[in-house]
Amino acid sequence: MIKNRTAEVTAALILVAPFVLIYAVLFIYPTIQMVAMSFTNAPLIGEGEWIGLKNYTKMFADRRFQTSVINTFYFVLLTVVPNTLIGLGIAMMVNRLKGWQQSIILALFFLPYILPVSVVFRIWNWMFDMQFGVMQFPIEFLFGQRVPVFRTPALFLPAVAFVTIWWTCGFNILLFLAGLRSISPEMYEAASLDNAGRWKQFTRITWPLIWPVTALVLTIQLILQLKIFDQVYLFVQGGRADPSMVMVQYIYTTAFQKSQGGYGATIAVALFVIIIAMSVLQFTVLRARGEK
Amino acid sequence: MKTLMKLAMVTTALMTISSVVQAKETVVWWDFLGGGDGVRMKALIDEFNKENGDNIEIQATTLEWGTPFYTKAQTSAAVGEGPDVMTYHISRLPLGVSTNTLSEITADDLASVGLKAEDYAPANWQATQVDGKQYAIPFDIHSIILYYNKDKLKAAGLLGDDGLPKGLDGVDNFKAALQKLKDGGSQYGVSIHSAAGDSQWRIFYSLLNQQDGKFFADGKFLDGDNLDKAVKATQVVADWVKDGLAPSNTEYPASIALFTSGEAAMHINGVWEVPTFTDLAAKGQLGFEWGAVALPTFFDHPATWADSHSFVIPNNVGKDMTPEKRKAVMEVIAWMNKHSLAWAGAGHIPAYGPVRDSAEFKALQPNATYSVLADTAAFDPVSTLAGVASPVYDAAGNYMVPAINGEMDPQQAIEDLRDDLQAQVE
Repeated sequence: MIKNRTAEVTAALILVAPFVLIYAVLFIYPTIQMVAMSFTNAPLIGEGEWIGLKNYTKMFADRRFQTSVINTFYFVLLTVVPNTLIGLGIAMMVNRLKGWQQSIILALFFLPYILPVSVVFRIWNWMFDMQFGVMQFPIEFLFGQRVPVFRTPALFLPAVAFVTIWWTCGFNILLFLAGLRSISPEMYEAASLDNAGRWKQFTRITWPLIWPVTALVLTIQLILQLKIFDQVYLFVQGGRADPSMVMVQYIYTTAFQKSQGGYGATIAVALFVIIIAMSVLQFTVLRARGEK
Repeated sequence: MKTLMKLAMVTTALMTISSVVQAKETVVWWDFLGGGDGVRMKALIDEFNKENGDNIEIQATTLEWGTPFYTKAQTSAAVGEGPDVMTYHISRLPLGVSTNTLSEITADDLASVGLKAEDYAPANWQATQVDGKQYAIPFDIHSIILYYNKDKLKAAGLLGDDGLPKGLDGVDNFKAALQKLKDGGSQYGVSIHSAAGDSQWRIFYSLLNQQDGKFFADGKFLDGDNLDKAVKATQVVADWVKDGLAPSNTEYPASIALFTSGEAAMHINGVWEVPTFTDLAAKGQLGFEWGAVALPTFFDHPATWADSHSFVIPNNVGKDMTPEKRKAVMEVIAWMNKHSLAWAGAGHIPAYGPVRDSAEFKALQPNATYSVLADTAAFDPVSTLAGVASPVYDAAGNYMVPAINGEMDPQQAIEDLRDDLQAQVE
């Protein structure tokens, strides 16, 4: 069959044009504007004056900025790998169930994921409430006194990480379950015929074959958790925001509350660079690990 | 088909005629009033539309309170998409003016609907001006008050014959009273919302002003001996918590529940919770007699933190308001002020003097009892860093909350707070 190359290219261009246009208007253009804004002292609305690298020198000396970077990475550490491993573990257990039992258990684990963040916040804030929270009973039993979990800086991020895992784990379970189902049962049969125990089966069959899903979950989690904002913002409301400040929260405070658009954009650029660097790094590492 | 055509033509003709005859002004209105406030404001707006619907119609939208509201107000005014009138906390005016979000309210505007400065409490009127220019018209004064359980105070001998608390003035007296109430079987003498900076700021600012302390003056935060006064004010609350007379690290709803369940004999909170207790009492679910008075005088003289819901006209860039529309907006503002008795049901004190002095308001209890605080109200410092949902509120959360809950030494906390805020002055 003879193909008309020009016509094909034209058709392709027309088909991708809407996406390219939307992408350019809603992503590329604002990104360029954001970078440009980071070199100005612009307020939230309106033009600012060009001040060169002043925002950047200010940022590197800013104690709040340093805290927010450290906290963001700390939160990533607390959530990404635990959330992935817990997701895998639960998925493997759910996978052993059959029929309606599996559906019910899966639904139970998935349920928190469909809740909006504000509801998650309300539930857990009441659970840990100093006066009336049900969690204060075990806490009082273990530590001899009530603990204001979300008002104690050392406990704040671990507690929010715990709530986040409870909330988002269901989605990872679903991804892992899909991955586990794609592993052919014959492999396990063959392995058990060769006298391979459960642990051997896991390390030699399940883990390598599920690796692409694990890599996907890790990447999604990493990007998601670097952008952590909602939960931290809600749980800290009114309290000591500074010791547990994360990057997006600092951008929000700076740009929207204090109306320092230029400086807010500068921190946003820093976060942008960090996310790109981390994603590329992780992707490279995971691919190398997968190809071995 | 023909009839349909005719009908369409007649309708069009009618519409043209009516629009010529009426020249009705539509006033687009934004507010941030939820809960009981929202219900009452909707009733007021409905009443206005019913009364004036032929000439002016309010089209109201309620938006999210706090930073989201003020961000939207600012961004929409900058591109000429803001409303014709909106509610605004007067403590937030400095930031609004600095971002050119607000339109100045002139003497002619006021005169056109017969509003006068003398109709408002001087401090309140003063707080609606930035750099000598008027930007808002106050609608109410809201503040914090002392709610009390009459049964418990009576048992502790702290209730006068007039049904009002006695012997609560002075730091030591108040603390002794709390101890008495605790000894009398209450878990706490007073319940406070100790887990968040906003509530603590309101108590702190009252106590600071009772000592004539200045939080911010001439570009300096807590300059000179104001620092010592601020530490003293913080220490008062820290001492209650330390001795178990007030609950530590308690969230807002829990602080109310401690009072309504009778576990705390008194409660310090905003006037906006008055409807909560009124409704509970009316339903017979409270289980005790309650009352509310202005905050006691802990130091030299009475003073209470206060803020106002006010009305502002946004400075919609590139969209000039016609004189007729402006007049209509002023009519709306004036009407709301003159009908603010209904708003007082939400606990707020009407800003408009004639309403505050009216016999109807004087009969409204406990509102009339605590309304004396309007005369000694201390409004937030005039700074773009102060006001609702501002860096000052954040700083209160960062330093005062740990200080009152015994996690930080008050002296250290207030010094850190001063340095932090001072560094943000640009």
